[in-house]
Amino acid sequence: MLKPILLVEDNPNDLELTLVALERSQLANEVIVLRDGAEALDYLLRRNHHHDRVAGNPAVMLLDLKLPKVDGLEVLKVIRETEELRSIPVVMLTSSREEPDLNRAYSLGVNAYVVKPVEFKEFVSAISDLGVFWAVLNEPPPGSLRLARRPGS
Amino acid sequence: MTLSDDALKGAIEHCAREPIQIPGSIQPQGFLLVVDEAASTVIQVSANVRDWLGLDPQALIGASLSSVFAEPERLLQRLDALPDEEQNPFHIGEVRFLPGSSAGQPMTMMVHRHDQVLIAEFEPAGDMSGAYGNVYPLMRGFISQMNVEESIEALCQRSVAEVKRITGFGRVKAYHFDADGNGLVSAEALDEDYESLLGLSFPASDVPAQARALYLANRIRVIENANYQPSPLVPGNNPMTGAPLDLTFATLRSVSPVHLQYMRNMQTLASMSISIVVRGQLWGLISCHHATPRRVTFQSRTACELLGSVLSLQIESKEAHAANQRMLSLRRQIVQMLAAMADLDSVTGGLRTMPEVLLGFVGATGAAVISGASVDVYGETPEREQIVKLADWLSGRDPHEVFRSDNISRDIPELPLLASSVSGVLATAISELHSNFIIWFRPEQTRVVNWAGKPEKSVSPSGSLSPRNSFALWEETVRGFSRPWDDMDCEAVIELRAAVLGIVLRKAEEMAALADELKKSNKELEAFSYSVSHDLRAPLRHIAGYAELLSDIEGSKLSDRGVRFLENISESARFAGTLVDNLLSFSQMGRSAMRFSDVDLNAMVESIRREMLPDYESRTLEWKVSQPLPVVIADAAFLHLAMRNLLSNAIKYTRNENPAVIEVGSYEEDGKVVVYIRDNGVGFDMAYAGKLFGVFQRLHRMEEFEGTGIGLASVRRIIERHDGTVWAHSQLGHGATFYFALPKRG
Repeated sequence: MLKPILLVEDNPNDLELTLVALERSQLANEVIVLRDGAEALDYLLRRNHHHDRVAGNPAVMLLDLKLPKVDGLEVLKVIRETEELRSIPVVMLTSSREEPDLNRAYSLGVNAYVVKPVEFKEFVSAISDLGVFWAVLNEPPPGSLRLARRPGS
Repeated sequence: MTLSDDALKGAIEHCAREPIQIPGSIQPQGFLLVVDEAASTVIQVSANVRDWLGLDPQALIGASLSSVFAEPERLLQRLDALPDEEQNPFHIGEVRFLPGSSAGQPMTMMVHRHDQVLIAEFEPAGDMSGAYGNVYPLMRGFISQMNVEESIEALCQRSVAEVKRITGFGRVKAYHFDADGNGLVSAEALDEDYESLLGLSFPASDVPAQARALYLANRIRVIENANYQPSPLVPGNNPMTGAPLDLTFATLRSVSPVHLQYMRNMQTLASMSISIVVRGQLWGLISCHHATPRRVTFQSRTACELLGSVLSLQIESKEAHAANQRMLSLRRQIVQMLAAMADLDSVTGGLRTMPEVLLGFVGATGAAVISGASVDVYGETPEREQIVKLADWLSGRDPHEVFRSDNISRDIPELPLLASSVSGVLATAISELHSNFIIWFRPEQTRVVNWAGKPEKSVSPSGSLSPRNSFALWEETVRGFSRPWDDMDCEAVIELRAAVLGIVLRKAEEMAALADELKKSNKELEAFSYSVSHDLRAPLRHIAGYAELLSDIEGSKLSDRGVRFLENISESARFAGTLVDNLLSFSQMGRSAMRFSDVDLNAMVESIRREMLPDYESRTLEWKVSQPLPVVIADAAFLHLAMRNLLSNAIKYTRNENPAVIEVGSYEEDGKVVVYIRDNGVGFDMAYAGKLFGVFQRLHRMEEFEGTGIGLASVRRIIERHDGTVWAHSQLGHGATFYFALPKRG
């Protein structure tokens, strides 16, 4: 059984487009969608709504930086501070590379980030690259590799 | 006899130490009694009471006043009525002595209290009614002729004539002491057989310091006969103090033998001096000479003393009036300069508009305004290099003090070349933080001083000073001096400085406020960029994404037009995305810190050419890149961006040329490196040159040449952040040249 891919995204359009991108990358992993930071933490820590989910961490977590309730950085912080969650690879999704919070994300130990490109084709390829890398190759120790994929590069 | 300077200096000091206020003797044209007022007895007398009264000095000592004077009650009443604060001899009228050969003869008595005793001086009585009859009309005439317009010189001239009329001395002159204490004869009245001394200078050493102090205290001094035999006081000391009697205020005080020799050398046997005291300082003297011994009556002395006081007050008021007028005009000129500075919001700029006021207000022939690296010069000044050195020298001094010198080779020996062009310097700092100065210059003014005799004294074998024998004109040429800066010049400069600092301070405050505001709006801009990046980019992304999905999934069902519409939608969304991205990076350019390093422009151009190859490989494009282009000091990443924008424009706008030619070159100008990029493309109309570097300014239609209108705005922002400038020249259809100039950095 493949570990699932966790997608945390609040914007419905971005969610749909990301799901299409993941679909097109033809990964066999199940994609679990969570709509805000609080729900993401519930899932990871198996509490509230998600108290009865099957134990185990996801293969990779695609985490939007800006989220309602608990934002992406806070989620990332909890993950890195929690013993059982620390090894989850986290890919940060952002709207712009001008994002000042990116530096914060780095210092909190993000594994990679993706600037959501305007060009949909690029987005599809960025998502598939990352998905394949993290979901298939899976097990590298956290923080060992930082892959930044920029549109056009 | 030649003197070493040391010997002369020693002798002058020796002379200045002579205790002339306690000579222990008097001149014999009168006699003196010292009275212990409490005991009402005589305690000291001049030895010449023997000649005047036919009495032995010892016979008078210890005598009570009532045994000496007739009508002693009247005398005591008069003494009681004496004003306490008056130290100068007070005329209390005529008295008659009881004992002696002159018993019953009227004698004029003058008294003053000093040195714990009452000092009484006696002279033969004159004709009092005559005195009032003559002196009063003379004085009234003198005073009534005074008027505001009369110059100080004219006033002095009238005064000496008046004194001559009152006293009958053969030569009466007025002289005025300069800052060094030398006296210049400015007015004179003389009889035919006297030699004129008008225009001559008497050296400061002619009147030693303690003599000046006496002139200040006692405003009139008479020597009736330079060959007099001084009459000693008996006993030698003042019995009340046990020390020699202080004769500072005594009319009959015996004078220094050096002075008597001086008089004899000048062939004058009688002299009188009236002090001119202005603002508490000895301004000058009216000095009277007569070839033969001459008697000056008490009445004449009093009239002259009064005249001296009136003259002193008049000079003081005239000087104050002149000073006020001058200060008023200085203030007016300061206000003019300040107004210009405020108008232009610049100290240097304001001064530039009125050089004649800057020079005129302190009567300078040249001026320099040093502000940072800029040196503005006006009128006749030293070389720029010398001015900069002078500013360096000045910055080592207390910035709160105005520097003034009328002889810079004496005062600034470190800068010998400076003295070759100017002699006078007046300077003030005009910034609390920086070495900014305004400096005024005056040229050397060779001055001829006509000394009354070579101003050298000889020293006798005993080491005491003996006065010179010749008072013949001795011309001295003084070099290296400018016209001196007076106190008023300095005061005006201090006022100007305070006002300028006020302006600078206000400007600094405004700048600080502006900087705060800028910081705030920068923060707002940052917040705005941030929200743009999020809020604007996301919908664009969704439009592009869905359009593409629609075209992928439903494309086959769409008409050709429908497909084209979808493509346009995607294209527009992508373009808008690029626009947002460019705008964001443009705003970031203004905020990021600059990292300066050596940048090889040849390498940079080469790498951009390679990078952009896909854009022009299908075209005929001829590159003309100068070898070598300079290495400049700049932020490599930013400059790369600017250069790429310029080259990509050149490639874009030569799209329709065959062959296209792009030239990159550089030259140096005014300490700046200018780089230009020339193309033979479509060019632009110079009428729009002003808009070229603005954000969102485009001079071509989208279907002709695509673009967001941010490229050149970025170029300008980058170059300006390097303290450089950008500009462009073009003719429509004949290509364009873009220039940027960078300051050379060390």
